[in-house]
Amino acid sequence: MIRFENVSKTYKNGTVALRDVSLNIEKGEFVFLVGSSGSGKTTCLRLLLREESPDAGRILELGRDIGTMPKWRVPYLRRNIGCVFQDFRLLPTKTVFENVAFAQEVIGRPRSTVESQVPQILELVGLADKRNNLPSELSGGEQQRVAVARAFVNRPLVLLADEPTGNLDPTNSEQIMTLLERINKTGTTVVMATHDKGLVDRMRRRVIELDGGELVRDQLRGVYGLDEPAGGF
Amino acid sequence: MRVFLRYAIRETFSNLWRNRLMTLAAVLTVAVSLTLVGAALMFKQSASQASVVWEQQTKVTVWMSASAKPAEMSSIESQLKVSPYIHGTCVFQTQEQSYQQALILLPEAESSVLRVQDMPSAFLCVPVVPTDASILISTFSGQPGVYRVTAPTKAIHQMQQAIRVAQYVAIALALTLLVSAIVLILNTIRLAIFARRREVSVMKLVGATNWFIRMPFISEGFMQGLFGSLVAVALLVLLHAWYPLSGNEFHLSTQDVVGTSIVVVAVGVLIGSIGSAFAIRRFLDV
Repeated sequence: MIRFENVSKTYKNGTVALRDVSLNIEKGEFVFLVGSSGSGKTTCLRLLLREESPDAGRILELGRDIGTMPKWRVPYLRRNIGCVFQDFRLLPTKTVFENVAFAQEVIGRPRSTVESQVPQILELVGLADKRNNLPSELSGGEQQRVAVARAFVNRPLVLLADEPTGNLDPTNSEQIMTLLERINKTGTTVVMATHDKGLVDRMRRRVIELDGGELVRDQLRGVYGLDEPAGGF
Repeated sequence: MRVFLRYAIRETFSNLWRNRLMTLAAVLTVAVSLTLVGAALMFKQSASQASVVWEQQTKVTVWMSASAKPAEMSSIESQLKVSPYIHGTCVFQTQEQSYQQALILLPEAESSVLRVQDMPSAFLCVPVVPTDASILISTFSGQPGVYRVTAPTKAIHQMQQAIRVAQYVAIALALTLLVSAIVLILNTIRLAIFARRREVSVMKLVGATNWFIRMPFISEGFMQGLFGSLVAVALLVLLHAWYPLSGNEFHLSTQDVVGTSIVVVAVGVLIGSIGSAFAIRRFLDV
């Protein structure tokens, strides 16, 4: 499903973001991407979204080499990838329903599809009764659930989450994780970059750790900081 | 496709309304500049029509000296008769006729000192084509008995030159205004892009195609150009209705106005599209 082959990425300002990273993620996996700030987690996600291209190496995603993919195909790639961010990125002038519907409208889904699928997905994230509220009227956890609904409404094969719980309290984080697990159970591959040690340790899923752009650990059923001294980060 | 069209139309008009002041400025600038362009075009048409009329009326006058001998007179007359540059035959104007003409043309103080026997007689000739006038002038000037050969070509040329200069000034003004119209449109689109940057980033994220993202902005510029040119067309129609020179050789036909309007609308739509294309290339990263 996702395959990095000796991928390196250096930004224009000289920062080395990734150095010779190889990894393989199968369909339906749930993977945590951990590492300190600047370790290359976000770069990985940006590469998977084709917001950046690798300098060296190959990235295969959904059976295609996305490094050599022509620009006009990128939107079609992204239709199969859902995306959730730490800062929610909801449209403040649109209601909950409209925010989720927007993701379908702008890829040309007919009105009838939108009207049947958006309520379903709002039901899934538990916000059916807030469909006409604006994001500013929701709590952070609720806003993030709207963002997850928007990312999932087009039934992507891959869901990328960049510190989705970074702005949330433990209870809301837990709700988001439950949601991501349910989405993962439908067969969607989930890749989540996070700093949340408690979450990673509790979930016991595959953990990929990056440090200074290099892959330092790839462990099934891992915890956040295997090698760190007790009481560490 | 239906979803796309509905989305593009809705977004276009909400963008136009959101930036209504800038939109108004852009539309008015387009309107003023295109009115100038259209007026210059219409004036050009009417002026070229007028020059054709003038040139058709060009007559070459061979003035004979008052003292010309009969032999000299008949020599000139027979030369004029065989000249290949003259259309038909020349009309002879007697000294008496010249005197009558002078009485009409000159103020009394001057005409009172004139005597019939001082007046030149003349041959009034129509050249085959207007440009033949200069050939006739050079052929007959200086021949014995000929006082002067005149044709209003110089006056016509000066008139045409003046009209041409006026046209260039109008076109230059219009071009300057067109450039500022493009810049204004570019700026409104840029504001629209800025106002919609969140939407645009979400659209990119969920896989909207580039054309889907660009379309509302392109059609926004297109609409501004179109509205501006329609205002210009309305002004040109009014201008035609109030045109002070209709009825003489500057007459402007409805056909000319329709043709000019088509050009004006085409140019308006074009500059609207150019403005938004620049803005999109520069400010919309898709």
